Amino acid sequence: MKKLLAMILVLCMVLSLAACGSSNTEEKTPDTTQAETEKQPEAKKDDTTTQSSGLGETLKQAEEEEKVEEVKEVDVISELTGGALVDGKFPETVTLKVECYDRDGDTPAGDNMYTDYIKKQALERYNIAVEYVPVPRWTEVDQLNNLLAAQEAPDVCYTYDYATIQAYTDMDGVNDLSPYLTEEFKPLFANLWNWLGSAGLLAHRDPDTGAINAIEGKRAEFYRTATFIRQDWLDKLGLAKPTTQDEFEACLVAFRDNAETLLGADASKMVPLSLSTDAGWRASTLIESYLDPNITDKELYINGFDERHYTQNGTKDAIKVLNKWYNMDLIWKDFALYAEGDATEGDMQKAGYVGAMICNYDIPFRDGENSINYQLTQLVGPEAKFVAIDTFKDKNGGYTKYAYTTTGSDRKIFMPKTNTNVLAGFLFLNMITDPEIINYLQLGEEGITFTKNADGSVNTIAADADHVANTINSQYNIDYTMTCNGLHLLDEDATIKSKALSYANVDPADVAEAMRVSSNDAKFAPVVNVGVIEAESGLGNTLSDLRNSGYCKSIVASEADFDSVWDSCMNEYLAAGGQAIMDERAEAWQRVLGDKTMY
Amino acid sequence: MSKKISTSENIIVGYKPRRMPIGTALRKYWQLYLLLLLPIVYFIIFRYKPMEFIVVAFKDYKLNMNVWEMPWASTKKEGLDVFKWFATAFKDQMFLKALKNTITLNIMDLIIGFPAPIIFALILNELTAKRYKKIVQTIAYMPHFLSWVIIYSIALQLLAPSTGLLNMIFDNLGIGSVDFLGNPDTWVGTYIAFGVWQNFGWGSIVYLAAIAGINPELYEAASVDGAGRFKKMWHITLPGIKSTIVVLLIMALGGILGGNFDRNFAMQNKLNIAKSEVLSTFVYKRGIKSLKFELSTAVGLFQSVVGVFFLLSANFLSRKLGERGLW
Repeated sequence: MKKLLAMILVLCMVLSLAACGSSNTEEKTPDTTQAETEKQPEAKKDDTTTQSSGLGETLKQAEEEEKVEEVKEVDVISELTGGALVDGKFPETVTLKVECYDRDGDTPAGDNMYTDYIKKQALERYNIAVEYVPVPRWTEVDQLNNLLAAQEAPDVCYTYDYATIQAYTDMDGVNDLSPYLTEEFKPLFANLWNWLGSAGLLAHRDPDTGAINAIEGKRAEFYRTATFIRQDWLDKLGLAKPTTQDEFEACLVAFRDNAETLLGADASKMVPLSLSTDAGWRASTLIESYLDPNITDKELYINGFDERHYTQNGTKDAIKVLNKWYNMDLIWKDFALYAEGDATEGDMQKAGYVGAMICNYDIPFRDGENSINYQLTQLVGPEAKFVAIDTFKDKNGGYTKYAYTTTGSDRKIFMPKTNTNVLAGFLFLNMITDPEIINYLQLGEEGITFTKNADGSVNTIAADADHVANTINSQYNIDYTMTCNGLHLLDEDATIKSKALSYANVDPADVAEAMRVSSNDAKFAPVVNVGVIEAESGLGNTLSDLRNSGYCKSIVASEADFDSVWDSCMNEYLAAGGQAIMDERAEAWQRVLGDKTMY
Repeated sequence: MSKKISTSENIIVGYKPRRMPIGTALRKYWQLYLLLLLPIVYFIIFRYKPMEFIVVAFKDYKLNMNVWEMPWASTKKEGLDVFKWFATAFKDQMFLKALKNTITLNIMDLIIGFPAPIIFALILNELTAKRYKKIVQTIAYMPHFLSWVIIYSIALQLLAPSTGLLNMIFDNLGIGSVDFLGNPDTWVGTYIAFGVWQNFGWGSIVYLAAIAGINPELYEAASVDGAGRFKKMWHITLPGIKSTIVVLLIMALGGILGGNFDRNFAMQNKLNIAKSEVLSTFVYKRGIKSLKFELSTAVGLFQSVVGVFFLLSANFLSRKLGERGLW
């Protein structure tokens, strides 16, 4: 009897460990992931997906759509919302939790002069009390998953990863937004319709059921990535800016061989080309030069689940180049050992040990006094800086690179089932899309955070130690302007002129050049909607982990092993669901578009 | 030899307490039972109540329903299939790899990591300088209080191929740098070594306590008989702590499929993933990050059942071999 009892007790104890197993691991994650969410200047997660349409196309579309007039009469609003709004406001204060990315900046992400402004506006306009829920930028999907799983998700969420939203939809965890996206409600959400249009608002409408789980944010600009090289090092060694891959390689070799000249006592710290574990992003211009410039939309779409071109034809050859460079000691030896979001690489770039890199077009300019180029002038010398170059030619001799499309490549906004007041969520989104509000959030206050030039363009004033509260959370506060990514001022002319001026403490000419380079021969992937691909659900994370690991392992393999390492990693990726997704995408394309190869 | 007379626990051989009806016991010792109430409530709320979520392993997860409302797992082709998630796991190459890694790493940990604190305790026990002993002991405990994230950062500082201290020394000696953290095979060594480093001091506490409980007269008698240090260690100390060793070994075997999540998660990188992916990290990535809660519960349940099986077998074996076992 005693034995039996003891046995039952032990069984229960062990089983209880199982039941808590999942929650235990969850509890532990914040601890471990926090170490990875250190501030990191690389916005490598600013993904692009191929579910997007050409820039020209969407712009045209937006123009064709008639401008929606906002309804002002409170009676009409009250009737429209079934009495939920009285005098245009909720009769009782509604609390709305809203997600915002935390980039580990100088001011708290959810509590600064900009969020105060938003909170005040929301309270005045609709009697909505906004609470911000900061989510670490570099582990956003993980953190959001944890919040959703714990049923503590913000009422209005955004993420770059649609697969996450799809997975939650499969679990009945996401509110259907379609009831509020009807003709009838258009005048109430005029800002949303005027800025996002049907291309953004209806992008994720299920062709069968008509349900809409998420709306697409919109990019105000399309610059994506560029290759950067240290201008002062080129000058010191008497080299010209490279214009081909061979010349680029020669530059890297020259950096490596002249480490003593360039770095003196720190010669051992020389890194000709730096890289991170997200190697697909950090080699994007190289990889994209190896893709067929005449690639069909169909091929782009079928291989498009992985936004780093992992399965595209040509990628392997590009990675083989990196593998060769790695074995020639041209690439940072330890890049694969540091977790995503680690600050080590950024510190090396700022300290001047790095010769070249491929990254977002504005990485060297971001962050004012903390920007790479500004830090270089402080730590190395006034002439030290990174400049953008075009150096990877495709087989036709162009500098093909992929640009962001305005719709489809930005954040997707959704409202979890835990939000019981979808109307409040929509009113908030409509407010945050108000051009006036966007204008304020992006510029701040005249004389404090910006000054106006005679031509209408705007100079940004970097926040200094005395005005920390003025620090923006992200460039142009895009983390608050949820529906708008990139500079979008009331005055369109001023926007373009202000763009290069908007990076404090760096040379505007360098920014302008990086913008030019990153849009040179730019290619836009098409928006393809051929229905939901079931195989994709929940696999985003798994596959991108496998892809990153595949890229990293292939790059650091010995040259002799490259092929076998690449193939085994690729097989693993395909077996884990990559192949199933490609097959289902091909099938869906065939079903909807038949033999067409272009969308 | 009729009865063992070695350790204290066998002194009261054959004593059986008189059984008392439960009612009388409750009345007589109600204060004690009252004291017990709080732990029982704790266990019910935090250990037994959550167990209802085990059924998630056999269901299709729905976010807006409670566990009992969720539909039983089913596939499109075959309809109801409650073991769907177990089948999914065993068809998953990544799971099989994680399972293999878990077993290999845990067995290696057991072979190398289990004896380490015993040896340390034996050595420490032989020290006569009390002050020195205390200092050594304290220093050995310290790594236990470091989180694995910090330990990995230390490992990076020491072992990174280009900037790690050790590799810089190797480089300067002309040996060439060793990829301790990236190469999956050398990584296993690093993993085990750091595991031993973190745990041997802390693990030795229990053995030191057991050693302290050994009757000192036995040592004196052995000295009189002419036994040296090693003889005494072998014939008195080790047999004296044998039962403690067995209990801890059984518990370690029970955790053969378990493992420390933070340790593997922190020490993982994109290069060593082939060897460093274990069940706990798989559950986190596949189950929680990729939102397959059913899969993660199924794998967790599988882990526990295998753990219980190992625990019971080890206990059974140890009793068969004449040891006390867990109960």
